Parts: sequence; C-alpha cells; structure tokens
Amino acid sequence: MDWTFGLTMTAAGMGVTLMTLYLLTLLIRLLNKLFPFKEEKENKPKT
Amino acid sequence: MDAFLNTLSALGQGFMHLTWQGSIMILIGCLLLYLGIGKKVEPLLLIPIGFGVVLGNLPLANLAAQDEGGVINLLYVSGILTEIFPVLLFVGLGAMIDFGPLLANPVVLIFGAAGQFGIFITLLLALGLGFAKQEAVSIAVIGACDGPTAIYVTSKFARDLLPAVSIAAYSYMALVPIIQPPIMRAMTTKKERATLMTGGEKQVSRKVKILFPIIAAVVTILIAPMGAPLMGMLMLGNLLKESGVVGRLVDVSQNTIANMVTLLLGLCIGASMLGGNFLTWDTILVFLLGFLAISLDTVTGVLLGKLMRVLSKGKINPLLGAAGTSAFPMSARVVQKEGQKANPRSFLLWHAIGANTGGQIGSVMAAAVMLAIMAGLGIGPL
Repeated sequence: MDWTFGLTMTAAGMGVTLMTLYLLTLLIRLLNKLFPFKEEKENKPKT
Repeated sequence: MDAFLNTLSALGQGFMHLTWQGSIMILIGCLLLYLGIGKKVEPLLLIPIGFGVVLGNLPLANLAAQDEGGVINLLYVSGILTEIFPVLLFVGLGAMIDFGPLLANPVVLIFGAAGQFGIFITLLLALGLGFAKQEAVSIAVIGACDGPTAIYVTSKFARDLLPAVSIAAYSYMALVPIIQPPIMRAMTTKKERATLMTGGEKQVSRKVKILFPIIAAVVTILIAPMGAPLMGMLMLGNLLKESGVVGRLVDVSQNTIANMVTLLLGLCIGASMLGGNFLTWDTILVFLLGFLAISLDTVTGVLLGKLMRVLSKGKINPLLGAAGTSAFPMSARVVQKEGQKANPRSFLLWHAIGANTGGQIGSVMAAAVMLAIMAGLGIGPL
C-alpha cells in the first residue's frame, strides 16, 4: 500500500475542504453584514 | 429450403450467443426494473438503468456501452467519457437547491466538511485492499453520497469501475434513511438527540442569495480548479434560480436538462454493466467500501455535532452532523425524524437542510481537492 499517497490525500483533502468551507462561512457572514435582510424592502411588490 | 434454414439459424443467433453471465445480468436488470416500478425505489434512475442492463447484455444487439458504433456507445462516449452528463446534471441540481437555510446559519456549513471524512478513510482502506490509486479514489468518492460527482471522478480515473461505483453511489443515496438512523442513535444519548435548537427560519437578503453562488464559485475554483466543471455548473444553476429573472432557464434546468440527462445517464450506466466486467469480486468490494464510506461520513458528522454541542454549550443538536452529506434532502429528513422521536417539540429540518446543502458543497469540494492532488502528483487515468 502507498501510505504516502493515502495520507497526503487524506490530510490535504480534509484540510483543504475544511478550510474552504470555513472561508465560505466567513464570507457568508460578511455578506449578511453588508446586506442585511430588511423585511419591508425585500417583500415590497415591484411596480 | 436451405435459404429458409439459414434464415431460421440467423434468427436464432441471439440465443446461441447468450452466456450465463449475460443471463444473470438480464435478471439483475429485471430486478432493478421491479425495484423501480414495483417498489418505487429511485424509479427515475432505476428504470433507465435496469432497461440499459437488459439491452446491454443481449448478445449481438450492439447496444452495450462498449460496443463501438452502437447507439448507446455513442451516448456513452459523448456524454459520460467526456463528463458532460454529470456536469449538466449539476446545472439542474443547482437550480433546485435553496441555499437560504445555509446562508441564514452559516455555521452548519462546517458539517459539510465532516460529512466527507468517510471518503478519505475509505480511500486508505481501498489502497490497503490493493486497489490502484485511481480506483481507490473513485471508490472513496462514493462516500460523497453524490451520484454525479462519483460518476465524474470515476469516468476520469477508473472507467472499468464506473458501473459498480455509480450503482453503489445511487443505491446508498436511496438507502440513507435506512443506513443513518441506527448509527445516529448508537452515537448519541437521548438527551443529546432531544436538544432543542433555536433560531427558527431566518430570512436572508436577495442580494446575499445572488452573490453567494458567484463568490462560492470564484473562491472554490481558485482553490481547486480541477473541480471547476462541477462547482461552476452547480453555482450557475443556483444563480439562475436566485436571479429571479430567467424563469425559463430555471425551468429548463430543473426539468428538461435534469430529466433528459438522468434518462441518458441511467441508460448508459446500465448498458455498461456487462456480465464479464460486473460479476466480479471487485464489484462486491466496491459495494462494501461504499457502504463503509457512507457509514463513516455519518459517524464523523455526528462526532463533530457532539463537539459543537459542547462548544456551543448545548445549543447545537449533534444529529445535525449526519446531514452534512450530499444526500439531499434525504439526510435532512432523517435528522428531523430522529430529532422529533427524541423530543416531539424539536424541529431540526430548517437547520438540517442548511447542513445538507453544506454537504453538497463539501462533497464537490472534497472531489475537487482529490482531483487537484491527483493532477499535482501527475496521476492520470488507468
């Protein structure tokens, strides 16, 4: 068995996936701060 | 008279060439058709696959995916080997997904990473069992609980395993409501499962919903460009939906594209399941390892859920971790059901849908990272 390949794939694969999703979490928080939901504006019918 | 006998003999050629493996595969095809039609198990997929198995194993019909020049071979080469079918399916998937619950409660996105851990443990096991690197990666990706991703990766690296991997991936996705609950119950106490979650159905602004697919596509593709076709198409489909201005394209993506690709994909996969290459020991191992991958995803997801329950001082229900897979929306429904069994006042569906869509992104990301590493190591198809 190629342990080097297996462990590289596991460590890098999980590490990068986790880091990317964490980065996305931060970006979503930032987006929510920049563009908070405003009920009246969002639900206002378009004329 | 001779001409008549020759005609009769030519007409009977099919029976003469029918092998025992082919006969067993035709029976398997009929079993899939029975499950799809009679039991309504994933009928959209099992009916084309089942009929594809029957057609592909009929001798001299030239309808197997491997029969060069045949109708199904043309579809197989142009749709699967070029990876167009799974990629197109992602446009439809993106147009169907609502990232709203995830955007309202982004912390659940982390569950989407934990739900992929089984992929990598299974990769180590597959390597340990002697599979080649490309095969091990293809088998492990069954743990993504995501049929199109599994097909995409396997068609890149181990085409011989494509029938087994795709059938295993779709079968286990359908079996999530049976596989996950016992693991969830075994790993949590009733008190943990009964944890009430507050927060309810938070709203998110339209701008956030529109910007998210664009930002997610740019960020993830910059990190792992090899997964660009999957992530790019998933986010394109979602952007079409959230833009709110291209109803016709959303309708085509959700219905016409998704249905047509599902039909052709199923037919091609079925017609590639030939007795000679499917009835092997490797196929059994692929199914066993795939089962293990999905079970381990649930285990690691619930373990992370338990950790987050401790860190949040009891505000997060650990069952949410089981929804971090890509089996959408089955995993979320299972979490809701188990949570309500433990505490009838519990309503986890909103949060679980968020974790489940996080699993969708996580599975594509995990596959993209694996593809990037394979490319970086210079490992090509088998």
